[in-house]
Amino acid sequence: MANKKNAHDIAPETVLEFLRHTMPFNELDDNSLRDLAKHCIIDFIPKGTVIFRQGETEVEHFYLIQKGGVKIYLEDDQGEVTLKDFRGEGEYFGALPIIQNTRANLNVETVEDTFCFLFTKAAFRQLLVSSPRFSQYFLRSLSEKLVNTAYAELRHHRVSPRTESALFLFSTQVGTTVKNRPQTITADASVRQAATRMAELHIGSLLVTDSAGEIIGIVTDKDLRTKVVATGLDYQTPVNRIMASPVETIPSHAVCFDAMLRMMRRRIHHLAVEKQGEIVGMITTHDIMLLQGTSPLYLFREIVAQRTLEGLHPLARKVPSVVRSLIEEGAKANNITKMITVLNDHILERLLTLLIEELGPPTLPFCWLLMGSEGRSEQTFKTDQDNALIYAWPDDEKKAAEAEKYFKQLSEKAIENLVQCGYPLCPGEMMASNPKWRMSAPEWKKCFDGWIMTPEPKEVMHSTIFFDFRAGYGDFGLADKLRHHLARTIPKQELFLYHLAQNALEARPPLSFFRNLIVEKDGEHRNTLNLKTKGLVPFVDFARLFALKHGISESNTLVRLQLLHEGGHISSEMYHETVKAYEFLMQLRLVHQLHMIENDQEPNNNINPANLSDLEKQTLKESFEVVRRLQSHIKAEFRLGER
Amino acid sequence: MLKKLLTRYGLVPPAHPLFAENWRYFKQLNQNKPLADYEFVVFDTELTGLDRHRDEIISIGAVRIRNLQIMVGETFYVFTRPSRPLPKDSTLIHRITPQQIESAPQLATVLPDFISFCGRALLVGHYVGLDVAFMNRACRRHYGAPISNPCLDTMRLAQTYTEMQWQQYHDRFRMDISYSLTALSKEYGLPDFTLHDAYEDALQTAYLFVFLIKKMRSKGIVTLKDLFNAGQAWRHLF
Repeated sequence: MANKKNAHDIAPETVLEFLRHTMPFNELDDNSLRDLAKHCIIDFIPKGTVIFRQGETEVEHFYLIQKGGVKIYLEDDQGEVTLKDFRGEGEYFGALPIIQNTRANLNVETVEDTFCFLFTKAAFRQLLVSSPRFSQYFLRSLSEKLVNTAYAELRHHRVSPRTESALFLFSTQVGTTVKNRPQTITADASVRQAATRMAELHIGSLLVTDSAGEIIGIVTDKDLRTKVVATGLDYQTPVNRIMASPVETIPSHAVCFDAMLRMMRRRIHHLAVEKQGEIVGMITTHDIMLLQGTSPLYLFREIVAQRTLEGLHPLARKVPSVVRSLIEEGAKANNITKMITVLNDHILERLLTLLIEELGPPTLPFCWLLMGSEGRSEQTFKTDQDNALIYAWPDDEKKAAEAEKYFKQLSEKAIENLVQCGYPLCPGEMMASNPKWRMSAPEWKKCFDGWIMTPEPKEVMHSTIFFDFRAGYGDFGLADKLRHHLARTIPKQELFLYHLAQNALEARPPLSFFRNLIVEKDGEHRNTLNLKTKGLVPFVDFARLFALKHGISESNTLVRLQLLHEGGHISSEMYHETVKAYEFLMQLRLVHQLHMIENDQEPNNNINPANLSDLEKQTLKESFEVVRRLQSHIKAEFRLGER
Repeated sequence: MLKKLLTRYGLVPPAHPLFAENWRYFKQLNQNKPLADYEFVVFDTELTGLDRHRDEIISIGAVRIRNLQIMVGETFYVFTRPSRPLPKDSTLIHRITPQQIESAPQLATVLPDFISFCGRALLVGHYVGLDVAFMNRACRRHYGAPISNPCLDTMRLAQTYTEMQWQQYHDRFRMDISYSLTALSKEYGLPDFTLHDAYEDALQTAYLFVFLIKKMRSKGIVTLKDLFNAGQAWRHLF
């Protein structure tokens, strides 16, 4: 009975199943899917058939590829063909002309025998109107939502949760941890009074106020220990003699992660929470540890407390476990690389401090320089050492020989210990132990000037990582001076910038994915994708190039981009899509490496597209598209033609 | 008596108006039009067994092809109740349970619907002779005439296509080729079908048909007549 009525009303299971597993149709409810499946047309298009011809074909249907594949290309007046994309199973074409109500904007040709599901223009438009999630997918592919879903997917599929941790660190605002008004004490009160107050209130710090009631400093239990008791200071000493001033503050709307990062950087345990210019309370390391199980702070404390080099060696290897908990908590790659950088910086600082205790004080002020990804504060798990050493100009030859002897010993020992901590040697010998990269300040200046003033393409290529240097330990002024010099000179050196621009175009992103293969520009297929060279390097190169061109001293890629945006050197749209794409690539790499470490493999940058979800592939594709836009921007800016 | 016999074998117009109209139309079918100009109905049946005298149709699935594209929106799918209860072992083959067809109509009442659905389309099936034989037995019994729509067999088409592909003489002696629907779909790289009922099988046959016709079209088979000449792949079945 039901049977006869529905003789013409069947949604084929084959079509339905396909739609249920295909983005963005999987966003639709079952009734809409059934309706769609019932009204589709199935077409077979033999290999080598041109389905759309740009500017000619009136697009009547939206095509979803069930099996097979097409290539999408542009043809200019001269008949020059530019391949734009390959689309395979589960991918579509024809959406844009339907949305914009134009003729086909590109050529589409089958590269295999292809079966497609066709939906009429009207049915497709109806879906766009009725389902916002569906339309969002087509309107701007690299949307916030898509990227966020991709992040969530990365987290869930790649990082199997180990603990039921909530997103505390990244969701809790500093302000919400504040329980009480800040406790204060006047500047002229004695340290004994301060200690009594703190004991009464069971707290570890007091804010110090002047006669007008303004907060001018902070006194903590650590100050009482180290500055009063340990040194035998009179207990009647006024607190303003031992207080730290000014007070480090953090806005109450900042998340706890930022507070933690700041405390780790400054090596302090208390931060004053500020709301609209007023101190409303305190946040301490203890507060944060309560929020956190596998806390980076524990590791941080362990590092800072190490008194021997041997004790330091195993600590660096604990970084991945800390990072894992952060990823589980929803941290983005940018947070994580910053965290890894802070931890590594502390290890370096501990290590050099201990070495200097062993070797005796240096004969001249020096600064340990970090380069490459360390210099950019973008370290992941596997970071080769890229470092150098700069020291003050020795007045005479005797001092020069002494300095050379001392710094040779220091850097060789440092490199050796860093290796033992698990930081591999730089294959290109760009390390402070190499006499080439251990020089006095004027020699460094000369070296950089050589690269900048008389640039050779090959030298420019090899020297790029030097331009990402930052101070790691020692006299930061030496590094700052050099940085300042570069920021002043480079914007005027057009030839150097020209070579740098050319170099930035070297790394070509792949064109697309097809099946589980990566399609390179010329249509060639590859199995694995090097996320670093094909994905991340173009972003880093872009940011470096324009930062140097505009005299920006920062070395971190995201900060460089932000400053370029604020300085009006790149458009708002370009800035936002660049940041999104870059962060996604960093995240993908981080999760990939974490996954490898947890499977006892050496982490690398090679991604196999077979292991990526459709969404990840889609987001990656969009990121490559951003790289292409960045590179055309470089071409336009530096008048570099298509090569 | 003679008239009845002639009608029975499709030599004079049947009495039933639906059957008569079809008969007249296909009597003068123009075979020289391009293949894309014809409509096709691809169909499949589920049977209680393979005995042409005893077994019966219990399900018909069909889908229309227009402009050589599969019109998923134009489908036909019914269960029919056989005159005898379902033999137990046949359930294993078609996975239709006695409960499913308990309340279904009998084939005789469904046939006119199916013939209307087919209209002026050519019928297509995989090893179509078997399905048509069962269909026509019922048609003859209840309406005194067979279906007049010409039928195309995708199995024969596949054989013809394979022969057209053969480059070397000794290929003709290859014995390892299976012409089952599943094997052919696999060989030609057509999409997979997991479900097998009359409707999904009809759809799978439709994929095969469209694939073969378009592939053969590129080798010079343009009209219905060309197709006929290429390998006698189609014939009137009565």
